[in-house]
This record gives sequence, C-alpha cells and structure tokens, in this order.
Amino acid sequence: MFFHIILERNMQLHPRHFGRNLRDNLVAKLMKDVEGTCSGRHGFVVAITGIENIGKGLIRDGTGFVTFPVKYQCVVFRPFKGEILEAVVTMVNKMGFFAEAGPVQIFVSNHLIPDDMEFQSGDMPNYTTSDGSVKIQKDSEVRLKIIGTRVDATEIFCIGTIKDDFLGVINDPATA
Amino acid sequence: MSLEPFNRLVKLAARAFYDDISTKGDNQPKTGRSDNRGIAVVVLDALTRRQWVREEDLAKDLKLHTKQLRRTIRFFEEEKLIAREHRRETAKGAKIFSAAVAATADGHHTKEGEEKVKLHTHSYCCLDYAQIYDVVRYRLHRMRKKLKDELENKNTVQEYICPNCSRRYTALDALRLISPDDEYFHCENCNGKLEAESDKIAAQEAGDGDDNARRRRREKLKSMLQKMEEQLKPLVDQLTRVKDLPVPEFGNLQAWEARAHAAGRGGLGDGSSNDPSKSSQGLGYGGTPMPFLGDTKVEVAFAGLDGKDDVKSETVSASLKVLPPWMIKQGMNLTKEQRGEVKEEVKMDGTSTSSTFSDDKKSSVETDDKKSIQDEYVKAYYAALLKKQQELEEAAKKQQELSSSNAANGDTGTSSTRQVGMKLKREDDEGDEDVEWEESNVAGNTNENYKVNDLNVQAEPSGEDEDEDDIDWEEG
Ligand SMILES: [Zn+2]
Repeated sequence: MFFHIILERNMQLHPRHFGRNLRDNLVAKLMKDVEGTCSGRHGFVVAITGIENIGKGLIRDGTGFVTFPVKYQCVVFRPFKGEILEAVVTMVNKMGFFAEAGPVQIFVSNHLIPDDMEFQSGDMPNYTTSDGSVKIQKDSEVRLKIIGTRVDATEIFCIGTIKDDFLGVINDPATA
Repeated sequence: MSLEPFNRLVKLAARAFYDDISTKGDNQPKTGRSDNRGIAVVVLDALTRRQWVREEDLAKDLKLHTKQLRRTIRFFEEEKLIAREHRRETAKGAKIFSAAVAATADGHHTKEGEEKVKLHTHSYCCLDYAQIYDVVRYRLHRMRKKLKDELENKNTVQEYICPNCSRRYTALDALRLISPDDEYFHCENCNGKLEAESDKIAAQEAGDGDDNARRRRREKLKSMLQKMEEQLKPLVDQLTRVKDLPVPEFGNLQAWEARAHAAGRGGLGDGSSNDPSKSSQGLGYGGTPMPFLGDTKVEVAFAGLDGKDDVKSETVSASLKVLPPWMIKQGMNLTKEQRGEVKEEVKMDGTSTSSTFSDDKKSSVETDDKKSIQDEYVKAYYAALLKKQQELEEAAKKQQELSSSNAANGDTGTSSTRQVGMKLKREDDEGDEDVEWEESNVAGNTNENYKVNDLNVQAEPSGEDEDEDDIDWEEG
C-alpha cells in the first residue's frame, strides 16, 4: 500500500556546499540518500515530493560539517499481509516462484500455486496447467495475495499465494 | 413475486445463524432473566409476515419493549438483513382522530390539547430479500472457505526442513536459500536439499506427538466441515430453490408507499399481514388513520363537536371536503335515493351537513367554481361506487361493508381511481387549488400528513386512494 507521509532526517552537509545553493544541495543530497531505501517501519521510500521544513544547522566540532534536521514529504510503499498485489515473475524453480512488485520481493511456494499447475523444468522453467492454457514463467505478470511479511530494519520480504479466487496470471509474456 | 420461498429462506437462516444471538445492552447484567436469546428469530419471523413496518408497531405486535426491539433491529441492520428508514413526521397528523388516539393512548403522540404540529422521528424496517440472499450465501462461502483453508493449510507459511541437520526454515527465508545450481532450496549449514514440511508429514504417516496433534486437528476440521454441510443442507437447498426466482423488492419506504397507493390492493389478508387488530393499534400511533376502519364516522362527529379544532384545521388546510357518497352514508344515514344522486347534489349535501366547519364558505365557493372534467370523473366513479355499495348493502357490518366496498372498487375500478389520482397530481403541480384534497396537501400539514396517510396504506395496503384523499382533507 502506498502512503504519503512526512519523515524527518538529519542531513550532514559538507562545508563546500555552503553558499547560495545550500538549500538545493541539501535537497539533492536528501533525495540521493533516501529514495529507494527501505525502513521496516515505513516501507520503501519511493519518492520525495516536497520539503516541509529545514531546521537550524548545527556545526560539528572539528569537521566543519553542518547537520540540518530536514522534514520532508514522501511516498512510501509498505506491503501488508492480505494485500493483493500485481507482480512480475523474476524466477521460477521447483520450490515455487519469485516475483517483484516494485521494490518488494515476493516468494510464492509451490503449495500456494493451484494444484492443477505442474512444474516443468528446462530452459525456461515454468508452472503450467495440464491443458497448457495458463503458464507462469519468468516475466509473467501475476496477481497475488500477500500472506506473510518479514520486516527487517532495512528489508521487507513477502510470501504470497495465487491459490485463491481471481489470483494468478494476468498477462502472459508469450501471448502478449 | 412470490414471497414464500424467500420467507422460508429467512426463517431457515434465522434458525441457523441467529438462534443464540442475544442483544443486550452492555451495562445489563447477564442474568438468566434478561436472557433474550431467540428474540432475533422471532423478530425475523415477524418481519417475514410484513413488508415495511413501523418499528413501534412491530414492538407492540411482538409485545417487546421498543428499546429491545430496536437493539435487535439494529443488529440485523448491521448484518445487512434489514433495510431501515427513519423520518420525521407529525406525531399526530389529524385532530379528527383524537378520539381514536385517546382510546389507544401511548406515550408517543402529543397530548390532545397540543395543537402544534410536532415532529417525531419514526423508524421503519423491512427485510431486504435480495441482500439476505447474498448475505447468506456469502456467509456459507466464508464458513466453508475458512474450514477448507485450514484443512489444506492454505495461507500458512510453508516450512522447510533440512533432512541432514534438521534445521528448519520458512518460506520467508526463501531468498537466502535459493541456489544458482539447481531448482531446490539448500540448507545454509550443510547445503543439503531442503524438503517442504507437509511432504514430510505425508511421507511418514505415523509421526511424533506433534504430528499427531496436527492430524487430530485435521480430523476435527474435516468433521466440522462435514457437519456443516449436513446441518445446513436445508438452507443450501432453499438457496438453490430461490436462485432463479425474482427477488421480492419493496423499494425504499417512499417508493413502497407510492406503489401501495397506486396498486390500491384490496383484501385484508394479503402478505402484509394487516389484521384489524394490528391496524387499530397502528391507528393509535400518532393518529395516522387507517382508511377504512370506520374513521369517517369519527370525523363527522368531530367536525360537529369541536370548534377549536376547526380553527386549527383551517390553518393547516384550507377547506372542507365534499363528502363522498359512502362517507355520507356512514355518517349521516342518508337514504339510497340521496346517495344515488349525481355529484353536484352530493356536494351540496356534504357542505350543508358539515356546516359547522368554519371554512365552509371557502370550500363551497371553490367547489362551485369547478364544473370541470373532474366532475365527469368523479361522477362516473361515484356512480360505480354507489352501485357497488348498494350491492353490498346487505353485508352485515358497516366496517366490513366499507372495507369490502373499497376492496371491490380496487378490483373493478382501478383505472378510474388512477385517473382521479393522476388528476390530483397534475393540479397539484399547477398549484391550482381546484379540489379540496389537493388543498389539504398544499397547505399546512402537507407532506407530513400526507406521508402519515401513505404509511397507513402501507401498513394496510388494502386502502384506497380515494379513502386516503378523503381522510386527508377532513383531517385538514
Ligand atoms: Zn542442513
């Protein structure tokens, strides 16, 4: 799920950036530092959308670096148990398949793939129905439901299922 | 539309799912005395015999406290079985019925002396069959799915075990376990091939104690599922029976009223369960008149007796209505010849007999003014009506006679009643106060009053348009 939230971060800025463009430099550094990171609490920071407030800088003894407390608005993506996501399959093996929905990785074990889909090994390992009408392989797009998440300080990993109504392949690269 | 299969569905569902629902206030002690389990079923059953019903009336019928009923109703509203509507209306629409109101006094209407138009919020409820069908199916689906999911270990995190070192992993570790070499997960310790745990259980049937527990659990789930299918079979059967039938649809309260009006259905004994006792109770409520309970008599008497009420009624609605023939007959005991007369004369009679009304002049002027097509309608209608009435003259009781005549009218002369109704509407739009009935609508009480009447018709669908209208103007 996506959220638009306000976060705060203490930015350290090298003295060479001081001057007219201090603010711009600060924001550029913030984007570079923050976008694409993941925190267990808030999820993946997708994009910074605005600066709320920049506090007074504090000069660090000895180094000359200045620390600015920056409040910024950003879009974050946080997967939840029970959430339905659309994801792209990245890898298929005998144990199931891995997929990505944006920054988040999801594993679907073979127990949570419909029973009528069989694993086929080979160049392009895949899960296929007996009549061959539905095939899950690398780059297939699937709709899945998250049934578990593991949230570490800097990482979120999910497991999902496609064994439920309206889940499964939504776009087959072979036919597209 | 046939209600029976759907009502059966409701009854089955009530017994299956709402049998032991107890709706208590949170602060009430859970003593045996306040145990009201089963009420839910009674309420649902009662609702299958009604359409839209005022909740106070229902409470009376069921001899329940209004509060208690409300709680149950609210519960079912949350369960999406019941549609509810609340609206503010005059507690006592018409002074004309003060006598009747006094007879069946209850705390809800205003005092007799109080002449202000007071608004009270009334709640109405009725079963929402279409939704009930869906709700029951959904409930069954959820039950089945939950049991089956548990049975199949669906939505549980897959566990893996290393056959060499017995280290356990879950699917959440999957990312760390994949190997570039083959299609299996590998142990982080010994690089052994991991096995999915359920496979292992399947492999070694006689597991340790843990596995036994798991198996017992499976057994239990299985038997629960089986029991569910068994015990709910009648309900499921009824669902399939109902599947292709058109769902009874009452619409919202207003639409339902309108339809009840238009249909002018006759007969006391139809699906909406209006037996006379009930209707009389309803009458007690805020003086909302039932069309054919002999109220006409009361009206006339009232008009004669009560001067001050007249004043009030004037303010509310302008004019006195010409009494239609059946009304005259009941109130005044006119002879047959008189009743057989054409409309103008009837009109004269009406105005003269009820000369006690202070707004007499106005009305008479107005009535004299219009010799329009209306008269034609009315004449034709009255003629038909009189004929009918004469036929029914022999019927034993006045009440019965009246109601039956209405009913008969509904049967024979639907078209004519419709026309009259339409006419009224059109004139209403024009703002042309040609007819007294309209005036009653246009002035004073207006909507509230009108609604109250409508209501009655709902409660008692055998009511007729004309009756309603008459009452309306008399009511003022
Ligand atoms: Zn191992």
